[in-house]
Amino acid sequence: MSLLAVESLVVAHGDLVAVRDVSFNIEEGGVFVLLGANGAGKTSILRAISGLNPPRSGTIASDGRNLAGLKPHEVAAAGIAHVPEGRRVFPHLSVEDNLTVSFLVRRTNLKLAQARDNVYALFPRLAERRRQNGGTLSGGEQQMLAIGRAMMNFPRLLMLDEPSLGLSPLLAETVFERLGEISKLGLTILLVEQNAIALRLATRGLILTNGQVVLLGEVSALQDSEFVRHSYLGL
Amino acid sequence: MSGLLVGGVYGILAVGLSLAFGVMRIINFAHGELVMYGMFAGVVASRMLGIDPLLILPISFLVGALIGVAQYQIVFRHFVGQATLQQLLAAIGCALVLQMIAQLIFGADARTATSIFSGQYIVFGPFFLSKAQIVAFVIAASTTLAVSLLLNATAWGKAVRAVADDVEAAEIVGINSSTVNIGAFALSAGLAGLAGTVLVTYFPVTPVIGFSLMPMIIIACTIGGLGSLGGTFIGGICCGVIQQITAMMWNSALQDVPLYVLLLAFIAWRPTGLFGSRVE
Repeated sequence: MSLLAVESLVVAHGDLVAVRDVSFNIEEGGVFVLLGANGAGKTSILRAISGLNPPRSGTIASDGRNLAGLKPHEVAAAGIAHVPEGRRVFPHLSVEDNLTVSFLVRRTNLKLAQARDNVYALFPRLAERRRQNGGTLSGGEQQMLAIGRAMMNFPRLLMLDEPSLGLSPLLAETVFERLGEISKLGLTILLVEQNAIALRLATRGLILTNGQVVLLGEVSALQDSEFVRHSYLGL
Repeated sequence: MSGLLVGGVYGILAVGLSLAFGVMRIINFAHGELVMYGMFAGVVASRMLGIDPLLILPISFLVGALIGVAQYQIVFRHFVGQATLQQLLAAIGCALVLQMIAQLIFGADARTATSIFSGQYIVFGPFFLSKAQIVAFVIAASTTLAVSLLLNATAWGKAVRAVADDVEAAEIVGINSSTVNIGAFALSAGLAGLAGTVLVTYFPVTPVIGFSLMPMIIIACTIGGLGSLGGTFIGGICCGVIQQITAMMWNSALQDVPLYVLLLAFIAWRPTGLFGSRVE
């Protein structure tokens, strides 16, 4: 059984169909990348998986357990973490409290302080800023906090929505480096990106255009595809 | 000076309203009715059971919280996140129902309760102060302090603040926002009940008292900043002080006039209040 199985997913916002008939499986381990231009439906897919926008039709299952109809906090408890577009850290909570409130699900036997230390070890910058409010952090630091917050629940699948958006190329590089480390720890990652450097990290993935899958497969196949060559390499 | 004391109680009346707004973006126009039930709880304790109303504060809190949870489940649950006209009308409907029920149970007469401090005065320099009001102020201030500790230092309080900041983000990190909302609403309503019992030790209650308390509560929230608890408490104190100064220097029948002027001024020039940071 797949860690995540998405079958014939249709997501609509009112009359506007954002995602039509999308199916893909994610197995344990590795980085699965969801590549597509603005408005291709990437965010809609993530929001459907995490329960923020229930899909119009189709099924979403994790290890055979149906996730459709669950509330977002129940999806989080099932081990699927979502790092949303725009980071969405809690602006009036300190860095430490941002992490603390994300530990309520308790998927481990670890103590709160140990879970926080894990995150601080991954992002030492957050430890330096632990008393500062989330809203006062720089964009890069907020992204680290959003990822760290998702890690507090020890998810099995970490979904990230354009973590490089709005960051300088250097910072984006750092974030991807960290994601590589997280992946090496054995955590499966679903990465939504417009940025083609995501392909360097990825093992498998799909390309989305106008809410439909145009290509699904190993990352080498994606790299050779018309879409990537045209959009990112100018060939 | 006595304005400060009265204002502290306005403050605690308003803190509950401010809390519910801060977390759920709901303005509970039936908040005054929750205060009214807290006042009647004090009357029942004092007149029927012979217990000092100040001893039943935890029960008053529970009475308010229970009515609040019922209110939330029946009405406000459907309006979370939207302080709309429909929400206001539903809240006013709620207030009227609660008034009628009180009328049926307690009748329309004004009633009072006496605590061991009622009707006693102390002279402090040039001031002549009611002991009941001093005690009320102390309880109001310490309760506000306790609530802000609860919100800032406990895991539950932090979850409440996370929901207030961003409901969706709170949900995806695993916080059940519905139960947090019910809890926050119960706390808001419980504070109203508790404040009511404190208030009734020096101020008589009728089933329609809620609507006469509500303007003051709204003004305190507006001055202090809806959603900011400390700010709201200070807003309440400002109201009390301004009322007393007007009554002393001008005319006690006009004591509320400057408050309404101030309310309009704040709405026009500083809608977030002195301490509020959120613009809606």
